[in-house]
Amino acid sequence: MPKVSVNSLKPGMKLSKPVVNEAGMVLLGEGTELTGSLIERLQNMNMSSVYVEGVSKPQKSKEDIMSEIDARFKKTGNEPHMGTLKRLLEEHIEELYK
Amino acid sequence: MDIQALRSQIEKIDTLPTIPSVLRKLLVVIENPKISLNEVGSFISNDPVLTSRVLKVVNSPVYGFPGRISSVSQALILLGLNVVKGMLLGVSVFEAMQKTMVGLWEHSLGCAITARIIAKKKDLKEPEEVSVAALLHDIGKVVLGLKFPGEYKKIMAEAESKDIFIVDAEKNYFNINHADAGAWIAQKWNFPRSLVEVIEYHHKPHLSKSVPVQTAIVHLSDILVRAKGFGFAGNNFVPAVNGSAWQSLNLSEEDLKDIFAEMEDSLSQAEDFLLSDE
Repeated sequence: MPKVSVNSLKPGMKLSKPVVNEAGMVLLGEGTELTGSLIERLQNMNMSSVYVEGVSKPQKSKEDIMSEIDARFKKTGNEPHMGTLKRLLEEHIEELYK
Repeated sequence: MDIQALRSQIEKIDTLPTIPSVLRKLLVVIENPKISLNEVGSFISNDPVLTSRVLKVVNSPVYGFPGRISSVSQALILLGLNVVKGMLLGVSVFEAMQKTMVGLWEHSLGCAITARIIAKKKDLKEPEEVSVAALLHDIGKVVLGLKFPGEYKKIMAEAESKDIFIVDAEKNYFNINHADAGAWIAQKWNFPRSLVEVIEYHHKPHLSKSVPVQTAIVHLSDILVRAKGFGFAGNNFVPAVNGSAWQSLNLSEEDLKDIFAEMEDSLSQAEDFLLSDE
């Protein structure tokens, strides 16, 4: 779910998360298809970037994330249930990179 | 220092000059058990910074009302007095949190989000209460950091250099840990019993008598948030899960994978929330 700067938005992109103002109120709902005039309004609103639909890719490499997880579990990875938790987290990360 | 002396020093934290002024004002409100919903509402509404923080938090993924709450009085009605009191404390200690330990606010917010996700999975009636307990579970670290800033820096350095858990480093130094300190201050501030218990036993959830499930949820949230590497809570290791908490929550592998997936989305939204300015 990439976050895109308001200056690089193109008409036809769809919001993958609602746009909210400073008080947390929803201005544009999830799934809204952006038009030229909506983009202009977003640019005039002091909003830096919004989420649009697209391929979701976390920023770090999978290998880096996995080795960080190894390091975090190094003290307790062998304790009861911790192996399960670690495996489930690793499977979850694998899914994100599919 | 013996434990009683330590406790009475910690209980006097309200008088510290370094305590944020908004927190000092707020404590007058929080410590009064007879305060009404309206009084809390007008206290918040009279402070624009507090109002905007409260509205931001209630509309954030920490609670289940994204973008739907537009006024403080609406927040009070939806969340109830205890949740709002706890949340007020959460939003007013966050500078102190960042000063004590960079990343502790993220850790706390991450736990609040995760606790709500687990509470909903377990069909708890009041997921917001668990969430606010998770937001405040490490308040003892803030208290120790505010009261004993020099010592707490040493404790954090020791946790890092000796590669040990922060809770053990605290114990080596004070003979108590942040869970004890947090419970003392929570009692002093007249927090509800359930909240005191979660704070006191989040590392030993099997000892919680009145709210074992809530305590187990916060305990597990702490572990999951650290496993994900979101925020910083004093050391980079994941603590072991308590066996009886694990059993009492009885989450299937499917449940846990759902929880990780939900965390992924909500935590990235929380990151935006943390990065956006006042």
